[in-house]
Amino acid sequence: MNIKLSIEDKIAKMKIEGILNSENAYLLQEKLNDVLKSDATLLELDLLDCRNISSTGIGKILLFYKDFITKGGEIEVVRCSNSIYELFSMLKLNQLFTVNLG
Amino acid sequence: MDTARILLVDDNISIIENLEMVLQANYFNVDTAYNGRDALHKIESDEYDLVICDIEMPGISGLDFLSTVRKNYNMELDVILMGSFLEYKDFSETIRLGAADFIRKPIDNNQMLRSINTILKRKNNRNNFSELYNNLERVEFDFVLDPRNFSKFAVSELFNNFLQQNFNLSHNLLNQILICVDEMVYNAFIHGTLALSMQERNLDHHKLQKIINKRLEQPDIASKRMHIHFSICHKTDTITVTVEDQGPGFDYEFWINKVKEDQKVNLEESGRGISMLYYLSDKLEFQHGGRTVSISKKIPKTNKR
Repeated sequence: MNIKLSIEDKIAKMKIEGILNSENAYLLQEKLNDVLKSDATLLELDLLDCRNISSTGIGKILLFYKDFITKGGEIEVVRCSNSIYELFSMLKLNQLFTVNLG
Repeated sequence: MDTARILLVDDNISIIENLEMVLQANYFNVDTAYNGRDALHKIESDEYDLVICDIEMPGISGLDFLSTVRKNYNMELDVILMGSFLEYKDFSETIRLGAADFIRKPIDNNQMLRSINTILKRKNNRNNFSELYNNLERVEFDFVLDPRNFSKFAVSELFNNFLQQNFNLSHNLLNQILICVDEMVYNAFIHGTLALSMQERNLDHHKLQKIINKRLEQPDIASKRMHIHFSICHKTDTITVTVEDQGPGFDYEFWINKVKEDQKVNLEESGRGISMLYYLSDKLEFQHGGRTVSISKKIPKTNKR
């Protein structure tokens, strides 16, 4: 699993590649903490090359979401694969933020 | 043996056309991609016996492609790299990443065909076990995990390697099974074995690791075991994974009902794993007061690669 993060003009762009499972979800948490500490108000998630996400990974995103919206932040999944789209729909995460297919 | 399927990757259209012609004349089934990104999407959605990939491509280079294949897809896929020259650092990288061969440009067609045939013969030998597994009516295995060794192995990755190498499952089905395995095994460790609280689980990685290590020093926790059972039945085309821990169990009926009734997103810290197991499996069962969880997944004929 590989995470690339860049923050510019209050926009954090995060690209996750590979499998996000319970063993490596802490790496996502560390990157999300970096976003939280920054002045970013929008997190754009690129999940097109992310093969799957475990509930631990989803948990990290939701923990971040709760803290991020309290400081006025927003999340958008700018693109993702069919399987991730289905997973996010199944967990109703598309009620919280925009999820776009790749 | 069926006709081997080869993916040709090069940003140079005339090279692709020439190689495609040579390979088709030698009865290979050929597909093409003009950049690394397209090639990655193709191997995710389709099955190839071999990839022949140019090293010097704009964007995702041949080495980037091979690195991504190994890292993200963990594939045993054979990849021949081709290029006009290879610097020493790239040469060592191709070996480290396990390239099947390197062919110098301009391509000597006979050399390329010799290389392809050698690689396919080796692949065929490697597939003997896979063929055995796929022709048995039922394959089963059990293993027992000491929690003190849990962090040494990524169990879902072991499953990933085993299933990918030996069974022709689609990527989508494989992914769904891996998420389920990850959920079940991680829950057996975190809840059933270590009995970590929600607050502890939300600590940062280093603090959580310290707590886990401390727990594992306690004899009553260190003596607990996790049992994992896997079976694939070709008669019923069903995969079943069962994980049992030696914890106190939990009120699984409450959580199953909650999953069935919930119409809103679950922002709580609990129950998300059960939601995923419920939706991703065809059958979810709990036994022994919640200490044993089992998922079954049908293998649709169309879902095989």
